Amino acid sequence: MTTINLSQPLDTATRPDNYLTHTRGFMSWAFTLDHKRIGVMYMVSVLISFFVGGVFALLVRTELLTPGQTIPGVTADVYNHFFTLHGAIMVFLVIIPSIPAALGNFIMPIMLGAKDVAFPRLNLFSYYLWLFGALFTVSSLLLGGFDTGWTFYTPYSTTTPAGGVIPALTGVFILGFSSIFTGLNFIVTVHKLRPPGMTWFRMPLFLWAIYATAIIQVLATPVLGITLLLLIVERAFNIGIFDPSMGGDPVLYQHFFWFYSHPAVYIMILPAMGIISELISVHAHRHIFGYKFIALSSIAIAIFSFLVWGHHMFTSGQSPLLNTLFSLISFSVAIPSAVKVFNWMSTLYKGNIVLNTPMLYALSFLVLFTIGGLTGIHLATLNTDVHLHDTYFVVAHFHYVMMGSALIGMIGGLHHWWPKMTGRMYNENLGRIACIIVFIGFNVTFFTQFFLGSQGMPRRYYDYLPEYQIYHVISTIGSYIMASGFLLTAYYLLASLFGGRIAPANPWGGRSLEWQCASPPPFDNFATQPRVGDCYDFTAIRWDEKEQGYVTDPALDSTKNSQFAAKNLH
Amino acid sequence: MAIKTQTFIDPFQGTPQRFAATVLGMWVFLVVVAMLFLGAIMGYLVVRVNPNLEAPFIPEGATGLPVSLVFSTIALMASSYSMHQATLHVRQGRPQEAHWSMTITMLLACVFLALQVFAWVTLWQQNVLFGDSLYAWSFYVLTGLHALHVLAGFVPLIRVWRKTARGGYSKQYPEGIVYCEMYWHLLGAIWLALYFTLWLGMRT
Ligand code: HEM
Ligand SMILES: [Cu+2]
Repeated sequence: MTTINLSQPLDTATRPDNYLTHTRGFMSWAFTLDHKRIGVMYMVSVLISFFVGGVFALLVRTELLTPGQTIPGVTADVYNHFFTLHGAIMVFLVIIPSIPAALGNFIMPIMLGAKDVAFPRLNLFSYYLWLFGALFTVSSLLLGGFDTGWTFYTPYSTTTPAGGVIPALTGVFILGFSSIFTGLNFIVTVHKLRPPGMTWFRMPLFLWAIYATAIIQVLATPVLGITLLLLIVERAFNIGIFDPSMGGDPVLYQHFFWFYSHPAVYIMILPAMGIISELISVHAHRHIFGYKFIALSSIAIAIFSFLVWGHHMFTSGQSPLLNTLFSLISFSVAIPSAVKVFNWMSTLYKGNIVLNTPMLYALSFLVLFTIGGLTGIHLATLNTDVHLHDTYFVVAHFHYVMMGSALIGMIGGLHHWWPKMTGRMYNENLGRIACIIVFIGFNVTFFTQFFLGSQGMPRRYYDYLPEYQIYHVISTIGSYIMASGFLLTAYYLLASLFGGRIAPANPWGGRSLEWQCASPPPFDNFATQPRVGDCYDFTAIRWDEKEQGYVTDPALDSTKNSQFAAKNLH
Repeated sequence: MAIKTQTFIDPFQGTPQRFAATVLGMWVFLVVVAMLFLGAIMGYLVVRVNPNLEAPFIPEGATGLPVSLVFSTIALMASSYSMHQATLHVRQGRPQEAHWSMTITMLLACVFLALQVFAWVTLWQQNVLFGDSLYAWSFYVLTGLHALHVLAGFVPLIRVWRKTARGGYSKQYPEGIVYCEMYWHLLGAIWLALYFTLWLGMRT
């Protein structure tokens, strides 16, 4: 019967090598044009940056254990450098590239059944831009550091004596272009390289998310570029349009910065939402509920994201009319976000839920994003924000959305696609334990900060009143718990590379195209362009003992999905 | 120097698909560049209309925009036109003429840059110095940023120019020259917008 054939993912028999073994040596990686290798290079770089940013985070939290100085030698000034580097690294080096550039690069072309992204050379160029941008940013450490906060607010950033401001700004400028070119590449790829049969509304939701993200990347990031450029010129020549002494306007800087950076928070969260759509439907083995709503809400979020930047500036003296408008539009962003959450919950309802590591991360996302998003509403409310602005409440809010949602989504996706990327299974039990540790640690760290903030503890402070200490101690303990969870994750993932069980082509029962090619994929993904149907229809998927993975059974197939598999068997 | 990259797996199924995709990619790229200048223009307008200025925005002694800008504008528009002609010649199978038009385009681009430098020198001689006022600062920064983009445009211009010398473009899918043309027209459009903005800024 044909079923036997189909249990063999295409190409494994005919081609013994995969993208990891196809060519060898350092140069074969440094100058690779393969989107999968570039994705892996991004992933490694991003995870290293995550480690560095994490060390700074632990330093910040440790310093805050007691009022005044805690770590010998860490003065208020050094502390400012710590939190600035932590923020800049996490935002610009980790979260922004993590999903699109790392996971997206690896998975997106395979999901499309394409051989590569549209412009492979540009893709490699983007990676090197990232690398140089990262080196510049981190080199500022040696050149005197920078203590402006990741937001580089004027006039402080144009006047601080710290020597590393210009290198850091240059670094972020270069990183911006890395992000722009990745976005450009992805837009063209989605438009032009979709396989026959994959209409817009048959694309996996991850692709919708990546596409919406790419639009924000190319529209918003140039504005950051020009802002940083003007800032660099102003700092270098001591004159510029942000300088009030000459008739310039420092608040203009804030407008510019948030015109980019609010959309940028959706550059971070949208791809994570895309991952969650995949994780939830695959690991609940249930057709995604409300496909079109999820897809279009990504686009809606991308559009709204350009209209709300002023909610970061309620206390900057902008006109009451603007404040009201920005507040109102900010509320409405919650609608498409909630549309997604409800659709995910409906997908889970009566689903055949498997509580494995990716699913646990997806559930963590649901909880943490709900908290993060709802506290955003508190902040978007004018009168409460006047009280909460620049307190730990804001810190807690954005950690719930950036770390608890974007980063947790990324790690969930990493686990989901790990077998595909490496060809190995990780230790499932350790995975679950680590996820639970991270979840607990995260909430201990950041939920506490909501109390701190609502009681008036300002952000970015080195010293504080003794009343606050108990919260700071709890929060710091939470950060240690979280760190141990991440270390455990690093341990079992690395261990799986050496001793992990060989991964089947389809370990979870997914239906989208990446599960139809071998693990790890061959160097050119597919021998011939596959045909596709509904990638959320799991009726034809069944477990196969021999394969130790899922296979597609054409006898059960209600759609004509299996056509493509049959067509591809040589 | 060419960097040797590893095996290239062409994601496209032939020239037509690659051509269409790259044109789309160029459009996206044009949007990126346009957003960059849009940001700069918005910034300029915001500080220009600032009602709380202590001193007048245009310092005493400045005599307005240099007249040479009129001529540089004409040069850039003309180069846009000859760039368009070059593509047309290629599409209609006249490689020789295409090469000539490319030569003219490049000469006009040089004239444009020379006239911009002339404008800076003129202002400088009128003692409108970079660090003295926002008026001077924004003039130099805006026109300088644009001139940099024109300068960078010489990289594709020269490549296309050399390829037209060999008659290297196909009629149906003249890939490189079309991308170059798109970028070049954008620079023309941005210059018009910048010039208009600066002119507006001179009104009181
Ligand atoms: C329901 C949607 C959301 C709303 C209504 C919202 C609202 C707000 C508001 C009003 C502030 C400003 C608070 C202040 O400074 O006083 C803020 C800060 C912030 N939000 Fe959100 N937010 C939402 C979702 C997100 C998401 C999804 C992310 C990131 C993935 C995010 C990241 C941030 C960051 C990073 C800051 C602080 C930036 C800083 O000052 O350093 N927000 N949010
Ligand atoms: Cu915002």
